[in-house]
Amino acid sequence: MIEQSINKEPIIATDNNGIVIDIRGLYKSFGAHNDVLKGVNITVNKGENLVVLGKSGSGKSVTIKCVVGLVAADKGEIKVFGTDITELDDKQLNAIRIRIGFLFQNAALYDSMTVRQNLAFPLKRHSKSLSPKQEEDAIKEALDNVGLAEAIDKMPAELSGGMRKRIGLARTLILKPEIILYDEPTTGLDTITSREISELILAIQKKNKTSSIIITHDMACAKLTADRIVILKDGIIEAEGSYEELEKSDNDWVRSFFI
Amino acid sequence: MNKESGSTWKLGMFVIIGLVLFSGTIFFVGKQKNLFGSTFRLHVQFKTVSGLKAGNNVRFSGINIGTVDAIQLINDTAVMVDLLIKKEIQQFIKTDATAGIGSDGLMGDKILTISPGSIAANSPVKDNAQIGSKKAVEMEDVMSSVKTSVDNAGIITAQLAQFAYKMNNNKGALSKLMTDESFSNSLKGTLSNLETSAGQFAKFTTSMNNGKGALSKMVSDEKFGKTLDSTMANLQAGTKGLSENMEAAKHNFLLKGFFKKKKRAEDKKAAALKKQEDQKKKADLPNEDEEKKAGEKNPVNAKDSIKNR
Amino acid sequence: MVISLKNIFNDAGNVTQFTARFFKEVLKPPYEIKEFIRQCYVIGYRSLPLVGITGFIMGLVLTLQSRPTLAEFGAESWLPGMVALSLIREIAPVITALICAGKISSGIGAELGSMKVTEQIDAMEVSAIDPYKYLVITRILATTLMVPLLVVFADGVGVLGGYAGININSDVNLLNYFSKVLESLDFIDIIPATIKTFFFGFFIGMIGCYKGYTAASGTESVGKAANSAVVAASLTIFVIDMLAVQLTDIFF
Repeated sequence: MIEQSINKEPIIATDNNGIVIDIRGLYKSFGAHNDVLKGVNITVNKGENLVVLGKSGSGKSVTIKCVVGLVAADKGEIKVFGTDITELDDKQLNAIRIRIGFLFQNAALYDSMTVRQNLAFPLKRHSKSLSPKQEEDAIKEALDNVGLAEAIDKMPAELSGGMRKRIGLARTLILKPEIILYDEPTTGLDTITSREISELILAIQKKNKTSSIIITHDMACAKLTADRIVILKDGIIEAEGSYEELEKSDNDWVRSFFI
Repeated sequence: MNKESGSTWKLGMFVIIGLVLFSGTIFFVGKQKNLFGSTFRLHVQFKTVSGLKAGNNVRFSGINIGTVDAIQLINDTAVMVDLLIKKEIQQFIKTDATAGIGSDGLMGDKILTISPGSIAANSPVKDNAQIGSKKAVEMEDVMSSVKTSVDNAGIITAQLAQFAYKMNNNKGALSKLMTDESFSNSLKGTLSNLETSAGQFAKFTTSMNNGKGALSKMVSDEKFGKTLDSTMANLQAGTKGLSENMEAAKHNFLLKGFFKKKKRAEDKKAAALKKQEDQKKKADLPNEDEEKKAGEKNPVNAKDSIKNR
Repeated sequence: MVISLKNIFNDAGNVTQFTARFFKEVLKPPYEIKEFIRQCYVIGYRSLPLVGITGFIMGLVLTLQSRPTLAEFGAESWLPGMVALSLIREIAPVITALICAGKISSGIGAELGSMKVTEQIDAMEVSAIDPYKYLVITRILATTLMVPLLVVFADGVGVLGGYAGININSDVNLLNYFSKVLESLDFIDIIPATIKTFFFGFFIGMIGCYKGYTAASGTESVGKAANSAVVAASLTIFVIDMLAVQLTDIFF
């Protein structure tokens, strides 16, 4: 019911052999001597959870910000649903962005709005034909998905870190994205909450058949959620494989992540 | 949701009050500038407008009735001033009203004043009519006339100074009057004598007017005059009879010699009588003169006494 | 030296682009009317007490201060007109604008700065909502329209303050006072002063938004954004005021 009323552009290009994100030769530098990405190649298959590992400052966050166009790539192509987003204008880019969810490191809830307004904010703008009742139902459903239905009228400042993350996730889910990008979803949380969040990510993937890129330092989370892992080092992909494969890697540096 | 609608009305109130305040000010200022409300136009031609500007007030009988709308030069010696004036004033401005330019206080703005026309011209001015103008009083004109006065004053002062100098140092009568103590004392004596004599004279005239003496009666009593008159007539008649008798006696030879003697004496007597009458007349006339003189002299006296003091 | 000069040019270029974007996008739908109204409420109504108090005090103080000088000339009857003129032409617009620079510009700078730092602006962008439209245009529009209104209030309250000031020393009837005030006013006093308040409002909003929107990451930059917004906005107000007075002089 809700899905029908959400304004989604028809898929521009069909999935190329089930690949939803295809990053080829991505370069990005901030200033003359600060090359962050030096030719990153990443592909994400449909329905797959891809975990990106790497040291702080290795360019993980920049990579996924390039995918949604928050950071403009210097060079390379980023195909999302088969369309190269580096060549799109704002309007076309926004059409792609609606189909991508992005969970920020600190959830990035709008401080001036209640939880309800936070969730309604993107919903109202992208599904104009929604009646107030449908809107309310969609908000409730999203909150139920993250198990925080009671927080609907709270302000973000009243929420704990874990709750904020979950509300952020609910806000991401409300537009029914096909791809979700997680920027360190478990940072700053205790192990129990981290596990809850990780399980939530997995549950959402199962339920909505979404594809995800998950950036994390939390190996427990990676182990739980990852279908495949890539490790970034100095702006390029150092290693790629499943959790088990990388755990037994010959490369000491790669193996050091799993200790 | 409730919170939002609660703030909406406050915002609305804020905006509306602000706009009302602003437009109210604009309206009232505009009203003073005659932008709103019904007005009519008048034109006045001046040689010079002495700094009058568009927007200056127009006054009629001391009341602000409009504003100067525009000022334009029409040739090198004429300036056309357009006035915007309240419609309700139109009936009071007659066709021969004249406009002049004045200023509102010493430092104030220039104003255009319309002087009412004569009562003879009954028709009020029409829209867009032109009315006459009076030459504006230029500050320069005022200044030049002030300058003339100041120059004259300078000459007068110089002469006055000269005069005063002469008076202090020369020997002329006036100088003496001012400086010589003995002269002034004698003058004072003279004046006091004059005062006493005038006082006595005054006493004399009063007694003459009010008193019962013969002279006074003669002057003032009418009845006495009449009696005197009839007495004189009787006397005349008596004398006539007597003179007839005497004439007859004259012709009597016996008495001829006596009468000759008597005639000689009589002639003498008549001459004396005539003399007496003349003197009496004389006494009457100077009397009046003296009275006049005394009346004139008294104030002079007073003045002199003030001066002397 | 060269680097700092380049930085200045860089900043100027960024500000110009930021401003140009405002004019490019202000008329393009979608319009964020609800947010605009909310900002009007926050900027206009919430600043009213502050502006009102300052306006009243300015009127009162100005009257008391100019009274002795005018009394020396025996021109005390000019007091209402003079106070109203200086309030409406200069003091109320500038003081109100400075207060708004302190309150609104810094507020916007801090708010947008912290939104930038906590990635709320990015969050908007990835959910395909133009944060520039939602955050910047609404705020700049709101300040552009609300600051002139606040100035009108400051004018009104300031004139009332002048009335109170006059009544400390003598007894003037309110009607008489207002007729004197209105007598001394001309459109030339009101219109240029009002026009310049729109510019004040625009730059107060624009500078606050620019400083907040371009804040670097890190909590420290939020304070920096707020602080530099106040400084830049206050300075800009004086510059605009000077230009406005000069222009008024030339054209009227």
